[in-house]
Amino acid sequence: MSTFFLDLVSATDEARREFESSSKVLDIVANGLSLDRYRNLLLELYHVVWHFNPTCAAAAARVGDEHRNVRYFLYDHMHEEQGHEQWVLNDLSAMGVSADRARAYKPTMVMLGLNGYNYWSADRRHPCSVLGMVYALEVVASVYGGQMTAAITDSLLLRGDQGITFISSHATMDVEHLAELRVVLNQIEDEEAKNAVVESTSFNFHQFGRVFELI
Amino acid sequence: MTNDISTLVPSVLSRPYRYVKLDWNAEYSMLTVRMAVRPIQCYSLAAMAELQQVFNDISASPGLVRHFVMASDVQGVFNFGGDLSLFVLLVRAHDLESLRLYARRCIDLVWWWENAAHLNVHTTALVQGDALGGGLESALLHHTVICERSAQAGFPEVLFNLFPGMGGWNLTIRRGGYAVANDLILSGQIYTADQLYRRGLVEMVVEDGQAPVALQAMARALEPRFRGTMAALQARRMAAPVSHELLLNIVDHWAVSAMSLNTRDVRLMERLARAQVRKVGGAAEGAVEEIKRMELDTAWGFERTGFSEWATIT
Repeated sequence: MSTFFLDLVSATDEARREFESSSKVLDIVANGLSLDRYRNLLLELYHVVWHFNPTCAAAAARVGDEHRNVRYFLYDHMHEEQGHEQWVLNDLSAMGVSADRARAYKPTMVMLGLNGYNYWSADRRHPCSVLGMVYALEVVASVYGGQMTAAITDSLLLRGDQGITFISSHATMDVEHLAELRVVLNQIEDEEAKNAVVESTSFNFHQFGRVFELI
Repeated sequence: MTNDISTLVPSVLSRPYRYVKLDWNAEYSMLTVRMAVRPIQCYSLAAMAELQQVFNDISASPGLVRHFVMASDVQGVFNFGGDLSLFVLLVRAHDLESLRLYARRCIDLVWWWENAAHLNVHTTALVQGDALGGGLESALLHHTVICERSAQAGFPEVLFNLFPGMGGWNLTIRRGGYAVANDLILSGQIYTADQLYRRGLVEMVVEDGQAPVALQAMARALEPRFRGTMAALQARRMAAPVSHELLLNIVDHWAVSAMSLNTRDVRLMERLARAQVRKVGGAAEGAVEEIKRMELDTAWGFERTGFSEWATIT
């Protein structure tokens, strides 16, 4: 009998592959980014990070006692992610974008849709859906973070981790996160929660792919 | 319940598959399965589930299908084999249980192919394009392998410290002997269609575009001696048996080995997976060219460092 983690990987296979096989994503992995496009990517990522903990908090507040392990997982995850928006701001500063300008940046409609969906889904769909957001972000970061870091460092002639601390650190950290996420996903048993996680994962992959196409 | 073949055929063909396309040739009772897994032509879990359904339908209607043909609906690629992208995810998630489950589902398919002769089904692989890893394993499972001249095949797994675990050793030894299996699996080298033929791994090499013609000719020639051939193929299996238990033991060993892959190995798998997308996307260069580059990189790494396992041992 298969585990929910494997079922999730299988059910969202097409969405993940669609993201992974996007010509824009493959191009970034191979050739890096221009300075303008990298700034745009960080500005968009700022909004992912800034809304990550509030979304998780909304879900943790709504999740029932039957999913208390999900709640505890979210507590730990929020604790780890706390303050990471400052890493993005630091990288933006290294790229010549002030913190004020970054905070004033209007995210793309795609990013608004992504954050809006994640809040709505945690509130109205099922609080466990937030694990779909976490899974998609973990995959994007752990599978592509390292390669994008290398390509962006080369294309922009960056030294050390100057301007790439957020992407490079998440590429390493998220490898362990994926193992922890698998454990909590495999403890989910009710179908409504599972369906919400699957939907959320597919939507997050879809929107993330569009973000990479727009920057 | 009816055994009327004319009613069974439509029911087998009419299932709403996404990753396999079925063609039926009534003259030879020949079912051709064309795999079309996008964006990467590989054995994804969803594609394997559909293929398993096709196998179940064939098994449930004895006598309906006399010829099973495996082909590709993707230009330039027969099959890239295992789902590297999935492997990477499961290895990163330390998910041995799921990796073992994936592997065991592969063995379910392998076991059907292995026993096809006992269902009186003759199986043929039409290899038009690249067949790597599990793609080559699945081709070698067929009673007859027809390769087009430009096809290339090999087991690149050793490049990222893995090995073909879904029958690769057994099938290659059975067809080409230990020396050929050692060379093919331990070198990670990619072979041309002619090289495969010379090593006894495939039955036939035809010019590009001629595989369907060769298939028809083979089916026509086989027709008058079909029963005797199937009896002989059943006996062949008895002469060189592969047990289900053995396949499961090897595949479990494969899954445990995969869990010990390091970051460099996983990165190479990801590199190969990206190259697979390029080829399927219509680029001139794809996975095979990437494997050759990976071989060169490995060799250059050795040249630069001067270290090797042999140096350590001696």
